[in-house]
Amino acid sequence: MGLLTSLKDSISRVTDGLFAADEPKRIGIYGPPNAGKTTLANRIARDWTGDAVGPESHIPHETRRARRKENVEIERNGRKVTIDIVDTPGVTTKVDYKEFLDHDMDKEDAVRRSREATEGVAEAMHWLREDVDGVIYVLDSTTDPFTQVNTMLIGIIESQDLPALILANKTDLPESDVQQIANAFPQHETIPLSALEGENMDEVYTKIAEYFG
Amino acid sequence: MPHQCIECGRTFPDGSKEMLSGCPDCGGNKFQFKPAGATESSEPARSAGSASSADPEATADPAPSAGSGTTAESEPAPGFDSSAKSGSKSPSSDPGDPAGPADTSGSSDPTGDADTTDPNTTDPDTTDPVEGDAERIDDEEEEDTAQASARSDVVTPDELDRAAREAGASETDPEVDGESMEPPASQPGVDELRDELNEQFESIKIVSPGQYELNLMELYDRQEYIISLQEDGRYVIEMPDAWGVTDE
Repeated sequence: MGLLTSLKDSISRVTDGLFAADEPKRIGIYGPPNAGKTTLANRIARDWTGDAVGPESHIPHETRRARRKENVEIERNGRKVTIDIVDTPGVTTKVDYKEFLDHDMDKEDAVRRSREATEGVAEAMHWLREDVDGVIYVLDSTTDPFTQVNTMLIGIIESQDLPALILANKTDLPESDVQQIANAFPQHETIPLSALEGENMDEVYTKIAEYFG
Repeated sequence: MPHQCIECGRTFPDGSKEMLSGCPDCGGNKFQFKPAGATESSEPARSAGSASSADPEATADPAPSAGSGTTAESEPAPGFDSSAKSGSKSPSSDPGDPAGPADTSGSSDPTGDADTTDPNTTDPDTTDPVEGDAERIDDEEEEDTAQASARSDVVTPDELDRAAREAGASETDPEVDGESMEPPASQPGVDELRDELNEQFESIKIVSPGQYELNLMELYDRQEYIISLQEDGRYVIEMPDAWGVTDE
């Protein structure tokens, strides 16, 4: 009996290993708009491949289509983990063109941007359902994490049994409150970082290797 | 034919699943919805009438200066009163029932016989642009099965009832007073249509142009997303196949 179990374990370890070697896990970077998802995606991609993923901006919904960076090889403690990063549009329950008008945009552009952003949310949700093997959930640690979007998305991720890493971003800002994020999702580990400044990225990479390796 | 591909003009019956993967002819994914107000009362006479009124828009919309594309459905066009009445809904009161739809097609199809009025045009085949007709007949035949299958999947009896009532209401308008009702009749039609679409595909609700409310759970659960645009009944169906991530 014990022999059989250990044999089964070792077989599944081998097949897991084969699977991992053939197909890098696809990790979706999710979160509300302006949490710093693209900044993080670019940071990871630049650190390990030298390229960027997409343009960053202070204007919400800069990323309106999912963008992928394939075969990002992260090396941790002598071990290599290869992942595909999918930077997704920020998820929200309301899109209003008026919020873009403050950003030096005329009405026509703002309306177009809001329609694209809406389609982007639909696309992000589609990816979450079908195409990601794990999630990096990025939150702006200067804002209240108790929102409908966060609760719903984390709920979906949990119901899918996807491995999820919660990042409390923007720790370089004085109003950053990492504890508030940790309190909001006590069932998950929360890693503080500043994707913009590159603070605490070592721990982020260690956790990525641990969660998605 | 409530749905029309705005790229190539192909029409699709209400509830058609064909268009869910893009127009089979040109691959386009932009369609416009004709608020026929006849979604339920789809007897042949009625659908023939609405089909023919689709023509001017598909081709060029030459005669009526005012009406613009989306109002074509309720447009009396050159024939005005008589054609509006016979076309809109009076098959029972009309002595020559079979001539009813033919009248409308003649009068509202300015491309062919233009001003030559009804008697000439009793045969719709001669008046309609070449291939449109054959295609339309096919569509009519498909309509029943397509509608049946689509509705068996999606629409509940309640919704059917409501749609029928709305259709009835919008149809009575033009009858009340012929030409003057035209613009008001088309406007509520669009609003009703929008409400209807929003109810049916509530994953994305359009509050006003550029303002959207998203139902994340619906978006997550649904295989396809139907994103209605604000421009009077035109909408885009996005299928997941059409989405690919951008590799950088």
